[in-house]
Amino acid sequence: MSSRSMPSTFVKNAMQNGLGRYVSQLQRITLNFCKSHSDSLGMRNFVEHHLMDFSKMNPGVVVYVKPRRHRPPRIVATFLNGNTQTFNVSSLPKEDICKWVEAMRTRSGVEVMRIRKTWHTDTPSIQGPWHPFLFKDPVNNTTSFPEPSLYSVQAGESASDRLLQRAEKLRQEQTAVASDITPEQEQITVGSGS
Amino acid sequence: MATRMCMRLHLMRKSKFLTDRPTAFLKDTCTRTLKTYKSRRPVLSELFHKRQSLGPEPERHPSAYGIWNYDSEVYAFGKRLGEDFKDEILKTSLVLRSYQEEDEKAKEILLDDYSEENDDDDNTVSRDSNEQLAKQGEKLASRYVKAYLRATYPEMFEEGISAVHDYLTSDEMFAYVGSQLGLKDIILKMDYPPTDEDYSVTMKAVIGALAASQDVARAEAFVRDFFIVQLVAEDINEIWDVINPMGVLTNILKKMGLSPPEPRLIWKSAASTVMSVYHVGLYSDRTLLGRAPGETVSIAEEMAARDALKKYMNTQDHRAPLKFREAAEKLQIDYDRKNASLSNLSSGS
Repeated sequence: MSSRSMPSTFVKNAMQNGLGRYVSQLQRITLNFCKSHSDSLGMRNFVEHHLMDFSKMNPGVVVYVKPRRHRPPRIVATFLNGNTQTFNVSSLPKEDICKWVEAMRTRSGVEVMRIRKTWHTDTPSIQGPWHPFLFKDPVNNTTSFPEPSLYSVQAGESASDRLLQRAEKLRQEQTAVASDITPEQEQITVGSGS
Repeated sequence: MATRMCMRLHLMRKSKFLTDRPTAFLKDTCTRTLKTYKSRRPVLSELFHKRQSLGPEPERHPSAYGIWNYDSEVYAFGKRLGEDFKDEILKTSLVLRSYQEEDEKAKEILLDDYSEENDDDDNTVSRDSNEQLAKQGEKLASRYVKAYLRATYPEMFEEGISAVHDYLTSDEMFAYVGSQLGLKDIILKMDYPPTDEDYSVTMKAVIGALAASQDVARAEAFVRDFFIVQLVAEDINEIWDVINPMGVLTNILKKMGLSPPEPRLIWKSAASTVMSVYHVGLYSDRTLLGRAPGETVSIAEEMAARDALKKYMNTQDHRAPLKFREAAEKLQIDYDRKNASLSNLSSGS
């Protein structure tokens, strides 16, 4: 399927969640499993080892555990916006089920869709809309064209000028260094060198 | 008691839903007919069309599927929002008046049968509806929203504050927030799903219940975190529609002792086409008050007046963001404060 025919959306936040306080969007989670079948083993282990910790750490999530005989195990997650996600977890180890439950806990509950951009804003510019006169100087309203000062090239220094200036500077420095060294200092340096 | 109420609700719903599933009934009774090869197609076709004509299945309450614990749901509702509600008060806030009336009737019938056998019965304690709490909650929300807006926009006119306040405390906003916070299944009502009005009343009652369970400050923080937050992506200058911006601006300048606004055309382009742009600036005593582009001169002039008003009220697009969380705690909120009013401006001059 091409991306044009697939439904797409922008990144959405459930009701400005997190700006004031964060509300976990998972409302209730139902764990279905068989008490005897082997493909529910992971789910049974999850219920035995991790479920109590999960429900203690997330008092805002209602957990229902419902055995159903000789049917594959599944997770039914209901979110605050009314959406429900159901998926089969048959033959999955308890570690994988932990990951799926965690994924449901941290989800916003909006339908999974292709996202056009990884960012979205309702206020694209706080500087106001662009218009053709945004950066124009109103002084030009009263200018009569052609105005030579608008197009004439400013005569600045050339590259050879800059080279000559540098050479002059170097020469001055050298003479300054030479004048600093007195004949006595010269003798000392010569004496210590021998 | 709650369990018993739930059971009663569940039974009522169940009896209602049993009647509108004739196709399943037909399929059960037609097993012998379906065995015959020749009659299978017409029977199935008839069943199919009957199903089509019935339309989609009605939305059912989760209790209809057999997985439901009202007490846990209500407890989780409070915990999810990070609040410690008193259980009884929260449950009262979820009882709608219509449900309470129905419940009273059912109780009377039950009581007549029951009193013949036993006189003392603790299940007959009537539960109040959420109307009283809703009134308290609405009052509290309204008071806090106004005070918060006045503290955030001290230069904005009282009419503007009222317009934004009406937007934030409208029934639609209460209904929207209520429906997104998981009230749908725990509202006690005979019909399902609840209407916008039910959400609105219950949401107000939940705010009232929070104030009654903890304190007013906690309820105000709740209002800030779930209602004022809805203002984040909105432009408050569009929520309040100033009817005559140029007149308002003239009045303001008069009051300040300045000369009236003088519109000047700064730029124009593509004048005789559909893409025409006029750029108007408003001056008073040779100082620029505001400027704006527009398709015609009059539109641009009005927009420039709005721009000048925005600057005066300090509600420009690049104003500081609203304060939430820790920053909101430091906000100086004065409940007795009132902003300047437009009516005073015109009458005083």
